[in-house]
Amino acid sequence: MQSNRLLIAAISLATFTAVPWIPFIATARAAPSPPDSPAFREFAQRVQQYVKLRKAPQRTTRHREEIVDRRDALAQAIRESRPDAKQGDIFTPEVSEEFRRVIQSVFQGPSASSVRRTIRQGDPVAGLRLTVNGAYPQHLPLTTVPPTLLSRLPELPERMAYRIVGHDFVLQDTEARLVIDFIPGVIP
Amino acid sequence: MQHLGRLIFLTFIFLSQKTLLAQGQEITLPIKSGSVRFAAIGDMGTGKRPQYEVAQRMFEFQQKFPFNFVIMLGDNIYGGKSPAELRKKFDIPYKPLLDAGVQFYATLGNHDDTNERFYKLFNMNGQQYYSFKKGNVQFFVLDSDYLDPKQLAWIEKELANSGSDWKICYFHHPLYSSGAFHGSSTELRKILEPLFVKYGVQVVFSGHEHLYERVKPQKGIYYFTEGASGELRAGNLKKTDITAVGYDKDQSFLLIEISGDDLYFQAVSRTGVTIDSGTIRRPAALQSVAPQAKSALP
Repeated sequence: MQSNRLLIAAISLATFTAVPWIPFIATARAAPSPPDSPAFREFAQRVQQYVKLRKAPQRTTRHREEIVDRRDALAQAIRESRPDAKQGDIFTPEVSEEFRRVIQSVFQGPSASSVRRTIRQGDPVAGLRLTVNGAYPQHLPLTTVPPTLLSRLPELPERMAYRIVGHDFVLQDTEARLVIDFIPGVIP
Repeated sequence: MQHLGRLIFLTFIFLSQKTLLAQGQEITLPIKSGSVRFAAIGDMGTGKRPQYEVAQRMFEFQQKFPFNFVIMLGDNIYGGKSPAELRKKFDIPYKPLLDAGVQFYATLGNHDDTNERFYKLFNMNGQQYYSFKKGNVQFFVLDSDYLDPKQLAWIEKELANSGSDWKICYFHHPLYSSGAFHGSSTELRKILEPLFVKYGVQVVFSGHEHLYERVKPQKGIYYFTEGASGELRAGNLKKTDITAVGYDKDQSFLLIEISGDDLYFQAVSRTGVTIDSGTIRRPAALQSVAPQAKSALP
């Protein structure tokens, strides 16, 4: 009986510890080095701090106005809750340097040509002047973020996304459509 | 005199429409009892006249070929996204279909706002990627703008657990394309194709290139691009050795019927001309019998 309990506990522990790694196992082909470094951990903490500002997610509705109103209200609430936010608050110098290192390695690695091609094919946006807490313009397309690059970066919470705008690398709140922070000039 | 001119003009338009309607009545699909029937449109959300004309043509076909849902291949709403713009680019053009009970299942393109997933009539249930079943067919809808590890893990799990006879994926960026403007999305292909092969996906639909193309089977998978249901990049198709049939002279849409082990397709132009049609037999049931497909084009 005792040994059975020990066995169940061991299996439970093994399952529990394995679960967070399932995505990495499933995508191991695309992610040779799981994103883990002190700088990325700091980044994850700062993102989590940001996420705490947000309310419950939107719900589906037939009313277009409701979606737009909620988006605008969310954006306004976020702006008000971080009025002094500036470039570099989340992408601190250390964090930016780590992102820069990973981005450079992807753009110089074996998949470099297909990564560049993905960006070119995604109707790349250029000439957009980014501001923290500024809205990503509705009429502009979103440049496809190369999956090879995404596989090398820290996973983001729901409703957050990395974006590429010209040579800038952006952290976006997709629901509020706000620029949360960015690293200028890091995309070759 | 001015009235006479207007009358002659309107008569000419009416007769032109009648001619087009006459051409547009041809249904090549078998309309079998109990079959899964749907339409596919991509890159349509312009709010301009060609989108409305394609939508009207779809409605006319729906009267004869009663499909009950439409898959949207992305770029559902171009440009401005105010409620008024959204109505102009979706609700109004497709109103006859919506009123007829036709459902729409959207995927996001690079011109879409991710908040479109909250719009009930897009049937995304607030998700950027999702799946749904119709009869013996399971559809897997991806967000190819943002194929992160989380989404890849999801699609692998969904495909692995699917017990449906037909597995159909759709997303915005084509893995294979002879379009000159964008071409094939080779990085996405490198990641997605092995999963599609491993788990037996038979057919993939995409948009992004503003034309129609059916690609010769690649590793046993059939690829369709339908990115001209509103936008059009005329003359942009540079046929390659992967092209089975392509069409870039006018806007278009696709009609699909699945019955048992057979998938029937018909691509139709804005003016109602059939530009491609044929049958695909489910490869698991096929066992090395060549697919039959025909094109109305030279």
